[in-house]
Formats: sequence, C-alpha cells, structure tokens
Amino acid sequence: MNALASQRAVLWPAFAATAAIAGFAYLFLRVEAQWEVVALTAGALVALLALGRTRLGAALGAAWSARPAPLAWGALLAASVVVALFAEDHFALLMIATVLLYGVACLGLTIQFGYAGVVNFSGAAFFGVGGYTAAVLATHTALPHLLVVAAGGVLAGAIGSLLVLPLLRTRGHYAALITVAFAILFKTFLEVNDALGGPQGLKVPGMRMLGWSFNDNIALGENTELSFYLSYAVFSLLLLAGALLLVRRLERSWLGLSLDAVRIDETAASVFGFEVARWKILAFTLGNVLAGTAGAVYAMMTGFVAPASFTLAESLILVSIVILGGLGNPVGVLAATALVVVLPEKLQVIQEYRFLLFSGFVILVLLFRPEGLLPRKLRQYLPGWGRA
Amino acid sequence: MDVSLLGQYVLNGLMLGTIYAMVAVGFTLFFGVLDVIKFSHGDVLMVGAFTGLVAYLGLSALGVQSNALLSLGVMLTAVPLIALLGAAMARWLVLPLRGSPPINVLLITLMAGTVLREAIRLFYPAGANPKPFPRLLPTDAVSFGALTLRFDSAILIALGLASIVAVHLLVTRTRLGLAIRAVAQDSETAQVMGMNFQRVVLVTFAIGSALAALAGVTAGLYYNEINFGMGLLLGVIGFSAAVVGGLGNLYGAILGGFLFAGLQTLGAVWFAVPAYKDVFAFAVVILVMTWRPTGLIAEQQAERV
Amino acid sequence: MNEATTLLRCEGLSVRFGGLTALNGLDLRLHEGEILGLIGPNGSGKTTFFNALTGLYRAASGRVWFAGAEITGLRPQAIYDAGMARTFQRSRLCLPLSVFDNLMIGNHRRLSLGLWFNLFRRSRFAQELQRHVERARVLLAAFHPHLPERMFEPAGALGMIDRRRVEVCRALISEPRLLLLDEPSAGMTHDETRELMDDILATRGRLPGLSIILIEHEMGVIERVSERCVVLNFGEKICEGPFAAVVADPQVQEAYLGVSG
Repeated sequence: MNALASQRAVLWPAFAATAAIAGFAYLFLRVEAQWEVVALTAGALVALLALGRTRLGAALGAAWSARPAPLAWGALLAASVVVALFAEDHFALLMIATVLLYGVACLGLTIQFGYAGVVNFSGAAFFGVGGYTAAVLATHTALPHLLVVAAGGVLAGAIGSLLVLPLLRTRGHYAALITVAFAILFKTFLEVNDALGGPQGLKVPGMRMLGWSFNDNIALGENTELSFYLSYAVFSLLLLAGALLLVRRLERSWLGLSLDAVRIDETAASVFGFEVARWKILAFTLGNVLAGTAGAVYAMMTGFVAPASFTLAESLILVSIVILGGLGNPVGVLAATALVVVLPEKLQVIQEYRFLLFSGFVILVLLFRPEGLLPRKLRQYLPGWGRA
Repeated sequence: MDVSLLGQYVLNGLMLGTIYAMVAVGFTLFFGVLDVIKFSHGDVLMVGAFTGLVAYLGLSALGVQSNALLSLGVMLTAVPLIALLGAAMARWLVLPLRGSPPINVLLITLMAGTVLREAIRLFYPAGANPKPFPRLLPTDAVSFGALTLRFDSAILIALGLASIVAVHLLVTRTRLGLAIRAVAQDSETAQVMGMNFQRVVLVTFAIGSALAALAGVTAGLYYNEINFGMGLLLGVIGFSAAVVGGLGNLYGAILGGFLFAGLQTLGAVWFAVPAYKDVFAFAVVILVMTWRPTGLIAEQQAERV
Repeated sequence: MNEATTLLRCEGLSVRFGGLTALNGLDLRLHEGEILGLIGPNGSGKTTFFNALTGLYRAASGRVWFAGAEITGLRPQAIYDAGMARTFQRSRLCLPLSVFDNLMIGNHRRLSLGLWFNLFRRSRFAQELQRHVERARVLLAAFHPHLPERMFEPAGALGMIDRRRVEVCRALISEPRLLLLDEPSAGMTHDETRELMDDILATRGRLPGLSIILIEHEMGVIERVSERCVVLNFGEKICEGPFAAVVADPQVQEAYLGVSG
C-alpha cells in the first residue's frame, strides 16, 4: 500500500517535466523574434546540463526507471498535443515531422555506432535509399504505400548488406573508410544515373493510406482547414514511438548486452562465445532499415528526392547528432535531433553558418564532454532494476 | 584509341597520382606516429591552396611580376603557414584526445575539416564560388611523336615526386626521422629513452601538412581553379590511398595514390559517362579492403592480448 | 596417467609470428581436476599458449585435444562452448558496464539470444533474468560478501582486487571445465593475491572437476596452489614436475638468472 503510494508520488514530477518539455517545444516553434529563440535555446541547454547534476534530475531518472509505461504514454500524449496545437501551421508541422523522422534515422545510427560500435558515415545514403525506393515504387507500382515505406527500409537494409562483408573483415579506421567511400559512391552514382533522375532527382507522390490522401489539407467545418502535414506528423510520431520502443527493448535485453560486449572488447567477447559478426550484422542492418524507413516517409512528405540531400556532409550531421546527444542514449539523441534540425530554421542568422557552428559545437563536446550532452546510463533490464 | 589520347590519359593519371600520393603520405605519417586518422587533411590542403592564392595576390599588388618569383613566394608562404596550422591542430585537437577511443580523433578532425571548409566559404570574399588560380609555370610543350608534354605538368610532377622523396629521406635517414620511427614503433619506450614525444608528434604533423599545402598549390597550378570544397574529395581519396596501400607504410601510401589515379583513369576510359570513374574507383577500394583488410602492404601487428 | 581422466592434451603445439617462434613444439597433458602452474620468464610464451588454446592465435603446427575432442584450429567461440574460460593479464572487464553485465558476458552460453524472445517475450525474459541474477549473486558472494551489493554498479567503480574477483567470476559463471588464469596477482599486493587465491581454491572445492592452469610470477602463489608446474623458456618446455623439484632444476635457475622463488 505504502510502496504503491510512494511510487505514485514520484511520478508527478516526471509528468510535470514532460508537460514542461512539451510547453517548451510549443513555445520554441511559435516564437519569431530572434532574441527569443536565442534565449529559449540557452535556457534549454542550461536546464539540460543542470538536470544531470541536481536532485530533480535523479528523481526524474528514478521515476522513469521505476514506472516507464505510464510516463511513456504521457510523453506520447504530450507530443500529440503539441502536434494538435499546430494543426493549421504548415511550417511548424513540417519541422516537427522532420525532427521525428531524422530522430528515427538517428536511432538507427545509435544501434550501429552507440551499441555495436559500427561507425556509419553513410547514414544519409541509407536514408536516401529509402527515399528513392519510395519515389520509384510509388510512381511505377500500385503497391500500398505502407508497403512502399516498409520496402524503403528493407531495401536500405539489403543494400547495407553489400557493405557487411567488407565491414566485418576490417576494423576501426579501415571500416570507417568503407562507409565514407560508400557515401561518396552512392551520391555520385545517383548524379550520373539518368534512370533515377540525375542531379535533379525524382518527384515522389504523396502518401495514400486506406483511401486517405496525406497531401490534401483537412477541411474541418467551414473556415478551419488543417494542414496536410498533420497526417505526416502523426504518422511520423507513431513511427518514432515504434522505433523508440524497439531500441529500448533491444538495449534492455541480452541483445543489447551482446552489442555492448562486441563494441567494448571484440577479443574478450569472442573468448566468451559471442559471434561478433552476427551482432555487427544485426546492428548494421537494423540501423539501416530504420534510416531507410524514415527516408521513405520523408521523401513522400517533401515530394522529391535529389542526390544533394544525401551527401557525406549530411551523413556527418547525422553522426554529429548521435554524438552530441550522448552515444547510446535514445532520449539524448532525440534532444540533439531537435536542436540540430530546428535551430537553424528558427534562427535565421545562423542558417548560413549552421555547418560551421555545429561542427564547432561537436569539437567542443568531443574535447570537454565526450559522453555527450545526456550521457547514457547503465542498462536497466526491467522497470525498477538495480536496487539490489 | 589513338596514341596521343592514351598519352594524355597517362600524363593526367601521373599528375593525379602524384597529388594523391602527397596527401596519402601525410595520412600515413600521422597514423604512423599516433595511430590516428586526421580527417581534416584534405581541408588543410584546400587552405594551403587559398593561402597560396592570397600570397600571389599580395605579391602582385606589391608589384612583383616575375612568374618564377611569384611561384616561389606562393610556395614559401603556403608551406610554412600550413605546417604551423597542422602542428596547431595536432596540439589542440589531436593530442588532447589521446586515451579516448581512436574514432573520436577521426570525428574531431572531421569536424575541424568542416570548420575550415565553411570558414573559407563564408569568410573568404565570395568564397562560395570557384577562384581562378594563376598560371605561373611555363606552358610550352615538347612533342614526342604523338605525345605532347607540357612543361608545367612536368615541373609539377617532378616537384611532387621530389617532395615525397625528400620526406622519405627525412624519415629514413635523419635523426629526426629516427625519432619519428621510434615513436611510431613504440611511443612508451621512445619516451622512456628521452625522446620528446609531443615535439616529435608536432613536427610530424607539420611535415605532413606542409606536403598537403604543396599538394594544394600543385592542384591550383594544374587546374588553374580552386574552391572551398576541393579538399573533401582529395582528402577522402588520400585517405583511401593510404588505407589501400596499408596505413603507416610510406611505400603503401605512394602505391595507393598512383593506384587510385590509375583506377580513375581506367574508369574514365571504360565508361561512357566520365563521372562513373569515381563510382568505379571507390567500388574497387571497397573490394580491395574486403580482400586485404589492412591494405596491400599489410600493417605488421599482432594484437596484444 | 589414465587416458580417461586427461582433460587437455597438446602435442607439438607451435605458434609463430612472422619469423619469431613464440611457442615451439609444446607437449602438455592436464588431468581432470588438476591445478597446473605455468611459469617462465617474461616473453617465454605463457600468454601465447593461452591465446593459442582459446583460439585467438592460430597454431602453426601441433594438435590440441580438450574434453575428449580435438579443438585444434577451432574458433574462440567454439572453444568457449567446449568449456574453457579465461582471465586476461591486463584486466579486460567492460568497465562502463555493470558488474552484473560483465558476469552475463561470461555467462553467454546460458543466455537466450533469440530476437523474438528478447524483444517480445518480455515476461519470460524477466523470469530468465531473475534466475541469472540469483546465480550471479551466489557466485559473487562466494568471493566476497560485499560484492553482491555492488552488482549494479559500473565495473569501473570497483577497486583493483574487486575487479580481479569479478573477472574470475566472469570466467567461472559458465561453469567451465578448465579455467585459465593469466597472472591474477598482477597489480595487487601480497595479501590481496592470497585472498583471491583462497577464494579461487574455495570455489574449486565447490566445483569438483574444475581444472586450472595458472600463469604466475609470484612463486609463493605457485608453490601454495599448484600440484604440478611446467616451466617455459623461449617458447619451449624446459622442465616439468612438482614445484620443489622444478625450482631445484639448474636449467630453471639459469632461465631465471638465479632469482627463482
């Protein structure tokens, strides 16, 4: 009885924190004045770093670890409310959906790099494989679009398997080169391939599901019209929720343990029977499937794909997000995704300088806080784990 | 294919191979002493080319007209300044990360490369556009039958090869080279034996970066155009060349550089669409890595368990 | 020397790196339940022998039988499955992971690694997890009563001796038939080493049939623990027998330049 009551009591700060984050997201997307954007960003960064050092931060962590299910539903609800509040705002919804989809792709990279230690400098390429798959399949076939999206993921995973053999045979810097070479190869291939539209790329039809066209605005009553991006934002939110659940469960299982073992010490892992190749293949493929799936939805939302979106530089942005957020911490990765995607859009001054600023920022993080803004915590196999 | 066209391909391949080898030698030197990949190497090269261009503009403004003097001025400005830049990056970006996972060094230098690239694009006057690079070398040509050889190409190839040989001699024949090799072999023992580890590392990075500056100026003089993004691809190619040859091995880097140029040339001959040459070359790189995971001239290393 | 009780047999085992012969034609036999001390100067091939046994290095020639089957040339994973576990000279715990996670790495053979099971059968996973937590707790407690309390802390937060204990537990939790200990005393004081050895011996009392090969520089440890010693020098076996006989051997004394125990 008492135990239950005390458990319930610790949930309220966590619910309040979720609401505060949602409120912040709303404000951030709404404000226009540049100084307000700067103030909000600075405030968020300070809050984020302070949270790690205060008792409130520990309390929140404890609450999430003890009762993740109700808090996760609360977070989903809060995100839905934010989406609903912008139901008529094209631009805000586009940004929200972009953050959500990049988030899915970066969760994929987290499985690869954060857990299995397989660095992937061609994340944007696999995102692009999904986009081009969607473009071709949705234009030339009558395949249901949910399957088109799935095909984007599957094809990204399949093309990734071309790199699996070289990645398994090489280690460290040699392996890094393989994905760098692939990133350049992929973009150049798209540019010179006329069947895939060359440098201009391809148009992608909008998504249709169960007779519902995602690209039509939604008329509500007489003078209210909801943005067509609302459908994409909701779909992306569900996709991200699924990806998050997958990554969480993966990490909190023997699978996550195996990936960690392989990343930290391949030799020791093999001496204790771990099939290093199996785990690297699993992580690399799963990560690419997530990136490809997100890429397919993103392409259908924006309506076109072109090689210029899938360069090595874009892949580096994805890697930066994964490091900035905190290697192996999905929540940190989502926070970093939001920062990297939204900030340049809101802060016009830095739009032009964003690559410079983010690169500089990553340098600072690597020098002074290599575990990232929100460092990963010890594995929590089950709710309430670890109180021996 | 007629002989003169073939000759052109071969000459062009030699020129590219020389530039690639110069870049690859830098990668392999850094890897040798510190086991790190300095991914910003290509962008350092690009900054070298721009430094050379600024030197040229400055000297011209001062009224220097002799092409020979201008060339000398360009080299003598770009090479030492970029050597300093390389040492500074080693001092403040690479050395502080000793002890963290090696991939972090690759990442931090990658980001530093982006900073350099973006800085030139944003802060050099109209830096986003390609800049014409002056034609400073004599362009007269001699013909051997169907083959014409232009003096500027010949000079640049000779200069590039000479600089590689010079670095090679420096590493194999001098006291400094001995220190570099000692640190590369076993940095702990070398330190115990009284070698100033940090100084050796900084000097090595200075030498590698000086070579990159020379490669940048060479590329500028050869193509007569430079741009802020030129370093990215050159860097990746130099990295590929060093890796394919076998990291840490000087001969491997040279071999890798010419091999990559050869592949691109072959690709250009074989495919109707010339841009496929890079797709082809990088695909072969991936295949070579699959076949010989530590490069053609393999890194000699048994893992310590 | 009954064949039935032989757990490990090596015949002419050699390992080469380029031109260097690190292990040269080693013949060795280990009985079920025996503790064998492996000694020799630095660089005499002791760790190389462990690495060859566990499949990390490929033998240039020679054959190895373990638990009734030939294991020559098998991969490390297969050799672990056959029942061989080891510690490393320089501790190779996964420091960022919890003590429990480290033990589970050693427990790999018993984990259900199916994708579906791990992702979607969470309640059955929880049951399996609970069983392993209990096993880990019992094993850790056998080494030190305070260790189970620290099961959910990062391994990196432990002191040197506790790390060693955890590393030995990681090797023992899969209940191997042969435990290879590579210089467990490295970096520890005399007292700590003695404590650790007592723990290991106590564990062996509870796991009859466990055989141990111990690499050690501390001659006191070898004398106290091992039933038989093998001395290596320059990759070759120069002497074999009970500790007292081995240290009295002039060849051994020469190899150690007169600094034998």
